[in-house]
Amino acid sequence: MAPVSYLDAGSGSMLLQIVLGGVAAIGVTAKMTWRRVLRTLRIRRDDDDVTES
Amino acid sequence: MYSPTGEVLRELSPRGREDWDALERTRFFRRALEDGRIVPTEELEPGLLRHERLPFVSYPYEWPFEMLREAALLQLSLLGEALEEGFVLKDGSPYNVQWRGSQPVFVDVGSFERLREGEPWAGYRQFCALFLYPLMLQAYRGVAPQPLLRGSLEGIEPSQARALLPRFRRGVLTHVVLHDRLEARHADRQRDVRSELKKAGFKKELIQANVRGLQKLVTRLSPKRGRSEWAGYREAAPYSNEDADRKERFVRSAGPSQLAWDLGANDGRFARALDAGYVLALDGDERVVGELYASLRAEGSKTILPLVVDLADASPDRGWRGVERRRLEERGRPDLVLCLALVHHLAIGRNVPFAELVAWLRGLGARVVIEFADREDPMVARLLAAKREEVHEGYGREGFERALREGFDVTRSEELASGTRTLYLATPKQ
Repeated sequence: MAPVSYLDAGSGSMLLQIVLGGVAAIGVTAKMTWRRVLRTLRIRRDDDDVTES
Repeated sequence: MYSPTGEVLRELSPRGREDWDALERTRFFRRALEDGRIVPTEELEPGLLRHERLPFVSYPYEWPFEMLREAALLQLSLLGEALEEGFVLKDGSPYNVQWRGSQPVFVDVGSFERLREGEPWAGYRQFCALFLYPLMLQAYRGVAPQPLLRGSLEGIEPSQARALLPRFRRGVLTHVVLHDRLEARHADRQRDVRSELKKAGFKKELIQANVRGLQKLVTRLSPKRGRSEWAGYREAAPYSNEDADRKERFVRSAGPSQLAWDLGANDGRFARALDAGYVLALDGDERVVGELYASLRAEGSKTILPLVVDLADASPDRGWRGVERRRLEERGRPDLVLCLALVHHLAIGRNVPFAELVAWLRGLGARVVIEFADREDPMVARLLAAKREEVHEGYGREGFERALREGFDVTRSEELASGTRTLYLATPKQ
């Protein structure tokens, strides 16, 4: 019914869904934090996060 | 969506076609079609679907709390079932729900798509803006959300909800406060959160946990309402049972109809008495409509649709070029209109002249059952007491009948035993 059928959830709403994921979210949070730490320490480059499409 | 013959058709994109082929084979979809939770749909030819046409289209800003909550729970249960079989709903909009009387029906089959690995629920934000925040606003603050939903088709933004809702009520810290903070913090960052989530292993169990949490939260929300002028009106009103019975008989004598509108339906007594294929039971009081919905739902009624509509400020045309969400009259014309115990409220309470009211009714093109209450009627006297004396000097039966006969032929009239009220059955002048 909606004229725009594909919604962009928005970054904030996407990240919040980790918090709302309960126990299942623990692994995801740890992995995401770890990747961010590596990126901050420049062990991993930002380019690595570009999705292959 | 509509064909020239009035059929509801949907053309699918190539990707939509693949989704449809897979969807058709799922158990949850078949189950939901069978039990009426999803609108009956058939494939006319590859890529072209035809949906059953529901009796009347309505919008969330016309639904009382109970209906919005019911629609939210339908959306969540379908999403939960879809996830089990690898599907997701790509949005979270109450505009995808319509009604068969008191039963909610999900109408946007194109909204189901195969869940892509590592992706969150794209409709979550929309679900918050159009379902969760409006429900919370009424449950936690006692503010009816219909005017806000009518004002913005996008609903209530997280930042607005944060300003409006109390922080320490169930679900507010996460779905509202944290939502707004995260949104503000990430608004102008270029980081590709979607791929970041995917690489961190975001999985459907997270969406499922969110859906379960939302189901619990929404189920527990109940409407907080202030004083209502109209709730319990039937008990408080100074009508005798005899008059009510005569009124009911008069209404029945109007004969059968396809689509009837009961204006100022209150507890739905006369809507129920009608011999009609479908009835819109309209009332401006949100609480009254909520209570009517709850009783119709308990009865399993599929022929009466209760809606919150204030006739002196009814739903306008909304959305792009004013054609996305149409005003009431554009969504289906009645062939019978009940206008009981209403004229004095519009004429005195809302200053609508008789001629205006009759012209509007005439424009609907239906026969009407209309009730007029004299100045001596206790309810009218109460309304007049609140006004300056000279303002409604012209209010009287003679003036009303003159106006009525301008647009209608009166085929029958009956004075009620109280002596202050008259019923008219009238057909529009050709």
